[in-house]
Amino acid sequence: MWFVRFLTSSIGKKLVMASSGLLLFLFLCTHAAGNATIFMSSKVFQSYADELHSHPLIVLVFSLSLLAIFLVHIGVGLYLFNENRAVSTSRYAVSTRVVKNSLASQTMPYTGLFILLFLVVHIFGFTFSPKTVPISVTVKELLGNFFYALFYILAFAALFLHLSHGFWSMLQTFGVNHPRYNEFIARLTLVFPLFFFAIFAGIAFYFMTGLGANY
Amino acid sequence: MDMSSINLTLKIWRQANSDALGGLETYNLDGIHTDMSFLEMLDVLNEKLTKEGKDPVAFDHDCREGICGMCGAVVNGVAHGPEKETTLCQLHMRHFKSGDTLVIEPFRSRAFPVRKDLLVDRSALDRIIQAGGYVSVNTGGAPDANGLPIASQQAELAMDAAACIGCGACVASCPNGAAMLFTSAKISQLALLPQGQVERKQRALAMVAQMDVEGFGNCTNARECEAVCPKGISIRNIARLNREYLKAVLSEG
Amino acid sequence: MELNSRVPSGPLDKKWSNHRFANKLVNPANRRKYSVIVVGTGLAGASASATLAEQGYQVKTFCIQDSPRRAHSIAAQGGINAAKNYQNDGDSIHRLFYDTIKGGDFRAREANVYRLAEISNQIIDQCVAQGVPFAREYGGTLANRSFGGAQVSRTFYARGQTGQQLLLGAYGALSRQIRSGRVQMFARREMMDVVVVDGRARGITVRNIMTGEIESHAADAVILATGGYGNVYFLSTNAMASNVTAAWRAHKRGAGFANPSFVQIHPTCIPVHGDYQSKLTLMSESLRNDGRVWVPKNKDDKRRPADIPESDRDYYLENKYPSFGNLVPRDVASRNAKEQCDQGKGVGTTGLAVYLDFADAIKRDGRETIWKKYGNLFQMYEKITASDPMAEPMMIYPAVHYTMGGLWVDYDLMTTIPGLFAIGECNFSDHGANRLGASALMQGLADGYFIIATSVAHYLGTSKFEKVSEHEGSFIDSRRWVEDRIARILRNSVGGTAGKCTVDEIHKELGRLMWDNCGMARNRQGLEAALAELPRIRETFWNRVYLPGSNKEINQSLERAGRVADFLEFADVMIRDALAREESCGCHLREESQTEENEAKRDDANYSHVSVWEHRGEGEEPLMHKEPLVFEFVTPTQRSYK
Repeated sequence: MWFVRFLTSSIGKKLVMASSGLLLFLFLCTHAAGNATIFMSSKVFQSYADELHSHPLIVLVFSLSLLAIFLVHIGVGLYLFNENRAVSTSRYAVSTRVVKNSLASQTMPYTGLFILLFLVVHIFGFTFSPKTVPISVTVKELLGNFFYALFYILAFAALFLHLSHGFWSMLQTFGVNHPRYNEFIARLTLVFPLFFFAIFAGIAFYFMTGLGANY
Repeated sequence: MDMSSINLTLKIWRQANSDALGGLETYNLDGIHTDMSFLEMLDVLNEKLTKEGKDPVAFDHDCREGICGMCGAVVNGVAHGPEKETTLCQLHMRHFKSGDTLVIEPFRSRAFPVRKDLLVDRSALDRIIQAGGYVSVNTGGAPDANGLPIASQQAELAMDAAACIGCGACVASCPNGAAMLFTSAKISQLALLPQGQVERKQRALAMVAQMDVEGFGNCTNARECEAVCPKGISIRNIARLNREYLKAVLSEG
Repeated sequence: MELNSRVPSGPLDKKWSNHRFANKLVNPANRRKYSVIVVGTGLAGASASATLAEQGYQVKTFCIQDSPRRAHSIAAQGGINAAKNYQNDGDSIHRLFYDTIKGGDFRAREANVYRLAEISNQIIDQCVAQGVPFAREYGGTLANRSFGGAQVSRTFYARGQTGQQLLLGAYGALSRQIRSGRVQMFARREMMDVVVVDGRARGITVRNIMTGEIESHAADAVILATGGYGNVYFLSTNAMASNVTAAWRAHKRGAGFANPSFVQIHPTCIPVHGDYQSKLTLMSESLRNDGRVWVPKNKDDKRRPADIPESDRDYYLENKYPSFGNLVPRDVASRNAKEQCDQGKGVGTTGLAVYLDFADAIKRDGRETIWKKYGNLFQMYEKITASDPMAEPMMIYPAVHYTMGGLWVDYDLMTTIPGLFAIGECNFSDHGANRLGASALMQGLADGYFIIATSVAHYLGTSKFEKVSEHEGSFIDSRRWVEDRIARILRNSVGGTAGKCTVDEIHKELGRLMWDNCGMARNRQGLEAALAELPRIRETFWNRVYLPGSNKEINQSLERAGRVADFLEFADVMIRDALAREESCGCHLREESQTEENEAKRDDANYSHVSVWEHRGEGEEPLMHKEPLVFEFVTPTQRSYK
């Protein structure tokens, strides 16, 4: 069966990672846009959240799809991590990376796992927060905690690192590589992660420092 | 002492055969002329070992002008050593300093079993080509060569990919032991040329399938292959392979 | 030894087609019943294996490297000639034929050379169909350049890697047949012997380099495509594993060896820099288009080149050959360089180099123009020598490059052993006493793709074959002989290294002897001295060579020792051939045969023949036979470059 053959081939697995990565990237874009309303005021943010949750069916479908995508990205990622580790551990007495700035690509599985940990914390904190407390209050309370916010900022730093290889890597896997556009892609690979970091870590910083205490 | 000669400490992987356990052995080599090539330095070591009645270091090599792709070892963690776009045979000792310690290990990958010392079995690469790295035309009856115009730019791009010497440094340097750069070079060459169109999809499927069967690792876009390739083959070819494979898998067979 | 060249009669341009028609064929359905062994996977061997398998024969192919893709054809840089006349500059099959036969100084067979020129066009078509990325013009047509002083642009090329691309094309075709199961590929095997049964070649004995095992392989015909023997000089532009063993063993089994002393010496190589040197690197001849060759006028002038004023420089080629200057042919340039160095005017640390100076060209055309033309060559030179030719003169010296001599073959490329064929550089057939630039690739592919299948079909179609077994008779004898020989080589290694020497030491000694006495300029005295010296080196080898390790494992010293043992025997017939040829022709100056102006003097009255050597047993002097060369269609002329 072509589909099985595709999924089990090395390039197939890579394409699954890239495709799920792309969908997660798009999710991040929407999530960042929604959360950015926090910087406007708690009212705007709350109305955004209320509006979102007034369509339970959409939220359900969206959440389940998102869960599936995450599971695929994490599952295949861990599978590849395991496969690659079998090949790569202690191959050489001396290992030297020739590529400069390869920290991001070397740490993909680790940053990924850290983000997974963050997700668990995040979902328990927000998605399953008591329905009686408005989300605009929850966010202030949770992120008002210094260590909680610090953990968030660290997770977003990991996300930054993850994406600073992942975004380019995704395009490369999709076959987007052309000398004319490579510089542009390299810039995007910096700009997008920075953008996400600025928004998400910015929110955590906003409450952590008390700047958003009366937002 | 002559300014142009250096003393080195070599730590070389010694392994009697595929089944034996190997390990690094240390040799001190003095008076190495800096005009020597890396392999000539190994020749000198081997002459010395022979004269001491010891077993010389086995290593593959043939043309010694950087084109046959037979030589190769990992020097201080870098396949083919520290010079960019240089095979081991074209690496000269002037790039090292007196007192340096060089750790010399074979090209390693699950698909490249070590046979002896630095000598490995790279026949897996041959089998990838056998799976489809050619245009299936029999000898005879080819139309006039100029009957098939090919834009010079296209021919140059194909040549960029065709320059691969099949040394396996890409595999050796890949953190996952993947053979994507090697495979993509041949697939790119033929995908870029009109002669390769007929079998284009089948070729991509068959060569990738063979690559996976041989036990090469997965590509994670770490770019190490491109960085050590003695012929400067770009990972743009890997991107092209990904496209070719996706197109083929969605529409063929 | 009977030498029947089987050259077909009739007009020159009809010989090949008449011959193909006259040759017997094998019915397609019957071909799978026949097996053919091909030894070597360079251009000739890979293309022959692929073509025979495509036609339906069972093929067993052997190579010494770890992969068939690595044969030394891969190192050819310049290009491949073909008489396509795409440039409309007056080229034709006849012109390529004439240039080749004249370039060979009229020491090749007309019919063979004409066939080569005829087939040259098909080769290009075939290679393009395979996807060989030849250089293209902007309009998409194939690009050509002129090469080696040819007056037409007929050389097709793929950057500086033409040999590589052509070989990868043939390797692809071979790989396809391996996949289909019609070719069984045996890599890392070294051929040790030809097995002759009832006077016909029926198989080979090989050593498995990985295990040391001696293996027998039977077939109905055997094709040798094992390249040249330039490594008899130790230093050459050949690959390290290039050797004479296969051809030499065939010779000892009854194959005549033709013109062994015909060796091409290339004038522009990077000079030797020390005793440890293992290999010489060729620099493209095109450099002489703009570089000026010179040496200091005074002996042992140790000043830096920039400090030597014009008045103290000797531009010896320009002075001696005013009309051709630095562009004299390869042999003249090589000989003069050696002459200058022999006079003590050589430069560099070893004194074995001459300058090739681009300063005037840079002054005339500007740095940019010169860099554009030669930049990649300059980079290659700088990588090896760490000296920048834009800043100081390049140093060059001649080096052994190609061997025109080889196993004698008839028009069907069959040796004097029926069923044993020789193709590519390992035969003697097409280049006479000197080879034109960009013609080696052409010959390898012509033999492999387009000639050998016809010959094999004819041979198989006209003979009856009894089944032979690898477990009896001649096969066992051959294996035993090989095993004994290896045991004898290893014999001295018992009892430590004291008083012993290494294989390389002996090989280097042989190389020096050959280079000094049987190189580009030869004389009776030197040749006789070398002949007398050889037995001593041979004796040292057999009595004192020390080899670590055993026969039953990967043992690279043992591999080299086997090859050197054969070079030591082969050198004898090479020197004898040089002695017997008392004329200067092609690549060689026989010092006794010079014009009044000290130029090479060919002697058509006495030496217009191929010398073919017959092995008459160990310890016996070899016997020379002559195949007269008859020129029906061209008239031999003398070269002049003054």
